[in-house]
Amino acid sequence: MSLQPIAGTTDLGVGRWTTTGRRARTFVGRLLGRTDGLVGVVILAFFTVIALFPSVFVGPLEGVLSATGQPLDSPSLAYPFGTDELGRDLLNLTVHGARISMVIGLLATIITVVIGSTVGIVAGYVGGVVDNVLMRITDFFLVLPTIVLALILAPIILDVIGAQAELFGIRSTLLVIVIVIGLTSWATTARVIRSQVLSVKERMFVDRARVIGSGGGQIMRRHILPNVVNLIVAQSVLTFATAVFTETTLAFIGLGDPAAPSWGQILNNAQSAGAPGLGAWWYIVPPAAAVVLVVLAFTLLGNALDDVLNPKMLGRR
Amino acid sequence: MTGVREPGAVSATRGRRQVPLPRLADPAAPLLVVEDLAVRFSLPSGSVKAVDGVSFRLDDGEALGIAGESGCGKTTTALSLVRLLPANGRIRSGSVKLFGIDLVPKTEKQLARYRWREISIVFQGAMNALNPVRRVGDQIAEPIEVRLGRSRDASRKRAAELLDLVGIPGQRASAYPHELSGGMRQRAMIAMALACDPAIVIGDEPTTALDVMVQAQILQLLERLRRELGLSLILITHDLSVIAETCDRVMVMYAGKVAEEGPVTRVFTAPRHPYTQKLLSSFPNIHADRRTLDVIPGQPPDLRNPPPGCRFAARCPFVMDVCREVVPPEVTFGDGVRVACHLYPGRDAAGPPPRVVGATRTCDAASSTDPAP
Amino acid sequence: MSAHYILRKLVQAILTIVAIVALNFVLFRMMPGSPERATKNPHLTPEFIAAERAKWGLDKPLFPDQLVAFAISTAQGDLGYSIKYRGQPVVEVVADAAGPTVLLIGIGEAIAIVVGLWLGARSGWRRGGVMDRIGNSLSLIFYSMPYFVIGMPLIIIFAAGLGWFPTSGMTTPGGDKGPAEALFDLGRHLVLPVTAVALGLIGAYSILMRSSIVETRSEDYITTARAKGLPDALVLRSHAFPNALLPMVTLIAINLGYVVAGAITAEIVFNWPGLGLLTVQALDARDYPLLQAIFLLIAVSVVFANFAADIVYGYLDPRVRA
Ligand SMILES: Nc1ncnc2c1ncn2[C@@H]1O[C@H](COP(=O)(O)OP(=O)(O)OP(=O)(O)O)[C@@H](O)[C@H]1O
Ligand code: SF4
Ligand SMILES: [Mg+2]
Repeated sequence: MSLQPIAGTTDLGVGRWTTTGRRARTFVGRLLGRTDGLVGVVILAFFTVIALFPSVFVGPLEGVLSATGQPLDSPSLAYPFGTDELGRDLLNLTVHGARISMVIGLLATIITVVIGSTVGIVAGYVGGVVDNVLMRITDFFLVLPTIVLALILAPIILDVIGAQAELFGIRSTLLVIVIVIGLTSWATTARVIRSQVLSVKERMFVDRARVIGSGGGQIMRRHILPNVVNLIVAQSVLTFATAVFTETTLAFIGLGDPAAPSWGQILNNAQSAGAPGLGAWWYIVPPAAAVVLVVLAFTLLGNALDDVLNPKMLGRR
Repeated sequence: MTGVREPGAVSATRGRRQVPLPRLADPAAPLLVVEDLAVRFSLPSGSVKAVDGVSFRLDDGEALGIAGESGCGKTTTALSLVRLLPANGRIRSGSVKLFGIDLVPKTEKQLARYRWREISIVFQGAMNALNPVRRVGDQIAEPIEVRLGRSRDASRKRAAELLDLVGIPGQRASAYPHELSGGMRQRAMIAMALACDPAIVIGDEPTTALDVMVQAQILQLLERLRRELGLSLILITHDLSVIAETCDRVMVMYAGKVAEEGPVTRVFTAPRHPYTQKLLSSFPNIHADRRTLDVIPGQPPDLRNPPPGCRFAARCPFVMDVCREVVPPEVTFGDGVRVACHLYPGRDAAGPPPRVVGATRTCDAASSTDPAP
Repeated sequence: MSAHYILRKLVQAILTIVAIVALNFVLFRMMPGSPERATKNPHLTPEFIAAERAKWGLDKPLFPDQLVAFAISTAQGDLGYSIKYRGQPVVEVVADAAGPTVLLIGIGEAIAIVVGLWLGARSGWRRGGVMDRIGNSLSLIFYSMPYFVIGMPLIIIFAAGLGWFPTSGMTTPGGDKGPAEALFDLGRHLVLPVTAVALGLIGAYSILMRSSIVETRSEDYITTARAKGLPDALVLRSHAFPNALLPMVTLIAINLGYVVAGAITAEIVFNWPGLGLLTVQALDARDYPLLQAIFLLIAVSVVFANFAADIVYGYLDPRVRA
């Protein structure tokens, strides 16, 4: 897997396909005036609606017992996306997968961004030994093959807390994936935020605030945070892309929850059923396309946001 | 240095050239004539009229200083001569005639012939202008080899000679930029600018970011080279005293336009444009504090939406009603000074009324710009 | 490159490895029923288990005795015994699987580095051009695809459909093959998995290289190079490219951990007998000693790759040689 959130380091440049002449002044206008922003928002809106109300579109999630079709049927009028090896409707599974994949992505993003931003802001603002120690840890996590680590951690955690346990109504299998993704991807965020904090710190008003006598925590909240919040937003959106990507990978490897099939889990089922070798393309294309579209949309949107929220002078020498 | 140019300077300096003139060159034409140059940068928020109707002329062996506060378009003017503008910059109109050849309509390929061989540039801050991962000597030798077609050995040898010429021991050629001091890097940059024996060397704030001692050394070096090699020089700087010491003519720019241009002796002793006057009076003693340019109250206008009329109007103590509506035409005086200001109706006072904004070009460059040689 | 620079990087690498071993120790303790469970291997004799307990100091305090014992046995290459592979030392099991993975990732990386950097440099240099639009869109799509998502359609089209390549495995079983024939067979099996890995990586590398070039393009020394009247291709080749390459060296190395994880999924899809497949087997059997050994091997390799990248970086950038 080769995906890391890359706000601030990447200019995807697709934003340059703007309709020239249009000059929307508002933030939303600027975002939607760019091809990447618009494409990202449209795809996301589509998947969000599906994830919010899956049953409205395709009825309740089909289980092994409620399956109605023949095993591995290719697409037909009754089953436009075909069926899986248990005769379940793949349209039904894919639509419900949206909710599962995106909820996991969202939770993992929250963990990542909270840890990453906190570490980044504290390291950048406090500096000195604290910065050094935090950055050593960050570097360690950057270099560490965290996903491989996750493969050991996940079963251990499951063994300890039990696979059937629930926390805040979320099954522990899914929770483990959330925690594992959070732990594996905060380091990049921390680095990006830290370097922004360093440059914000350079600016005058922080010094003035410090002289007036506010404490470090207050300065960080009142002066630093507002200045990096734009970056955090862009970074969160990019992290979401990574989270969905990582969830898909982990579920495919076998850490998913068969009872709550995310897109990665459906692909895992497809692999176990030998779908690729049987040429059962309909089993693979819907969940795979969904993953790619969502990851792509978040990447496009994240970069559009980064450009719009953190404008750099175009082509300035 | 300042003052009258001797007649015959043209042939003398051109005779010194070691490389042939471009094929299309007109031997009788002046070295460089820029007319009515306009450059725009496109930004998502609008188009920046960074240079708007600038005209000037540079003769053989002459040194022209360009002054003006930050953002007035000095660098943009210089870069557009050989079209080195950032990707979002375009020359909208005007001509740049070198030996009578207009460079503006040239394709990128055709233009390459004139870069460095005819016009080379010493950039500000040589740390960034030199490639950090290549040896200084190689960077100097590169244009000799690629542009003049010399062998690699000959180019290296020449590079070492050039380093010698600017006061760096030849064996430092194998150093990387970061291994040289700031002053040395700027010298290396100058050596590089001389590599193809160009007709014009542009120095864009070549001494900014250096300490005062080193600044003086670099300026002396430029003077010496100019005398010995008969260089023609365009020197961009914030430092009026540098221009006073080094240049023959000075062009004061404001917000993308020429405010005043003429012989240094005249402009500095009797500034006519209110902006020039402010600029000079904010420099109480030419040898005292060198960085007081920004004491004129107010801000230059936003070049995405420049005001109609005179661009200095908002800050000018002599502002009149006409200034806010009508772009002041350029007027040339008998002593060779050219001024764009309504305080000096000059010849045009008797002629037709000045053109109103919105007309194609605001100042009638062809008739009034050419400073009498 | 100064000895000091190399030494500093080496010390960093060693410290990271020490931290990884310590982490591994903590994991080993966290395992349910641990550490007894690791010794309750049904394939081991009671005498052997007793010897192991003594060796790991299980009757002594956790710290420092057990940690030290763990570190020493790790350093000696003794990582315990596999449950799934009937008590075979995990080091042997892992060593057998490492070769195919190195082959897969090595070829994939090599192709991706060459193609991805070239593609990224070309599109970044002519930003907004035809090549950029097409190349960048494709890169973005591949960048958004996990390797197995690239691999599955490859199998459906080129193996199951067209039958050009085998659907899975590394060799065709049975039959005596001559060396040339065996190599050809291996090559045929390699094509699709390598393509999946390489395509995913090309997407990532070309996007990163593109942004690196775009950034480099606005540096002053590029303006200098253009001012010198050098041909455009030369400005790219000898000024922009070498500088844009610098951040890529580090990025490629840091990315290696992700590549390995991605390769695991590619191995599953193609039934490629490497570490990835082994990981899944170990995961299914909850074979923790094996999982730990795999993690340790991959982690240490990645640390070494990063060390190597630091050295290469130092070689490419004269500024850090000092
Ligand atoms: N790439 C660009 N995009 C948009 N605007 C630009 C760009 N480059 C320059 N400008 C604008 O054009 C104007 C002229 O800039 P220029 O760099 O020529 O000024 P300058 O006189 O050289 O200033 P300084 O003394 O600071 O070097 C400025 O207002 C600047 O903001
Ligand atoms: S034209 Fe008017 S505003 Fe402009 S400089 Fe002259 S007097 Fe001042
Ligand atoms: Mg400038």
